[in-house]
Amino acid sequence: MEIKKEKINEILVLEINGRLDTTNYSELDEIFADHISKNEINIIVDCKNMDYISSSGLRVFLTALKKINAANGKFLLCGLQETIQEIFKISGFTSIFKIFDNQEEALKETS
Amino acid sequence: MKKNKLIIKNNVSELEKVSVFVEKIVKEFKIPDKLIFNINLVLEEIISNIIFYAFDDESDHEILIEAKLIEDDLHILIKDDGKAFNLLDAPAPTDLNAGIDDRSIGGLGIHFAKTLMDNIDYKRENDNNKIYLRKQIS
Repeated sequence: MEIKKEKINEILVLEINGRLDTTNYSELDEIFADHISKNEINIIVDCKNMDYISSSGLRVFLTALKKINAANGKFLLCGLQETIQEIFKISGFTSIFKIFDNQEEALKETS
Repeated sequence: MKKNKLIIKNNVSELEKVSVFVEKIVKEFKIPDKLIFNINLVLEEIISNIIFYAFDDESDHEILIEAKLIEDDLHILIKDDGKAFNLLDAPAPTDLNAGIDDRSIGGLGIHFAKTLMDNIDYKRENDNNKIYLRKQIS
């Protein structure tokens, strides 16, 4: 997994590339925790190049969402591949997360 | 009948070998691409559960993963010598329609296995847990 970071109009955009699984979920968990602790609580996670996620990865997203909601920030996901959308559906996560087709749509939500 | 197997140690770093193994059987068994994700996911969830919860001692244990293609059905056996645990008896995840505050991840891995495979069986034999998965591939 590789994570690219970018700041667009005070919004932190994280792009996840590759697999998010039991072997590496803690890397992403630490990145979220670090930014949230610095009060950077408007985050878009671009998943267009994330080709795999397991329940460990879902847990990291859920933890970040809970913390950011509690701090009145925004945690948005975008660009989910079809197979991953399916996993979100099976998990009942589509109703919990704000999910957008792409980064542009997610950025509109933050403006 | 095509057949292949992998033996790993009870360590999280060994999970990478499982995804390499899946790539291998997908080629050998000519499994359609759309199933690769689901097979990977179900194996990771079940095997990581075993690695995290099946063993109380500090010693190394082996986990066997055996894949067979019988006609159009992929059969996978996962065997470990840990504590008895029948995943079919595991509680369903907390309400999948619950709001965010009531959501947890517990049980989600087993829920994936039950949803994404056609059949799951469990046997306790000679102090081993045996999990049998079946998925039609065409």
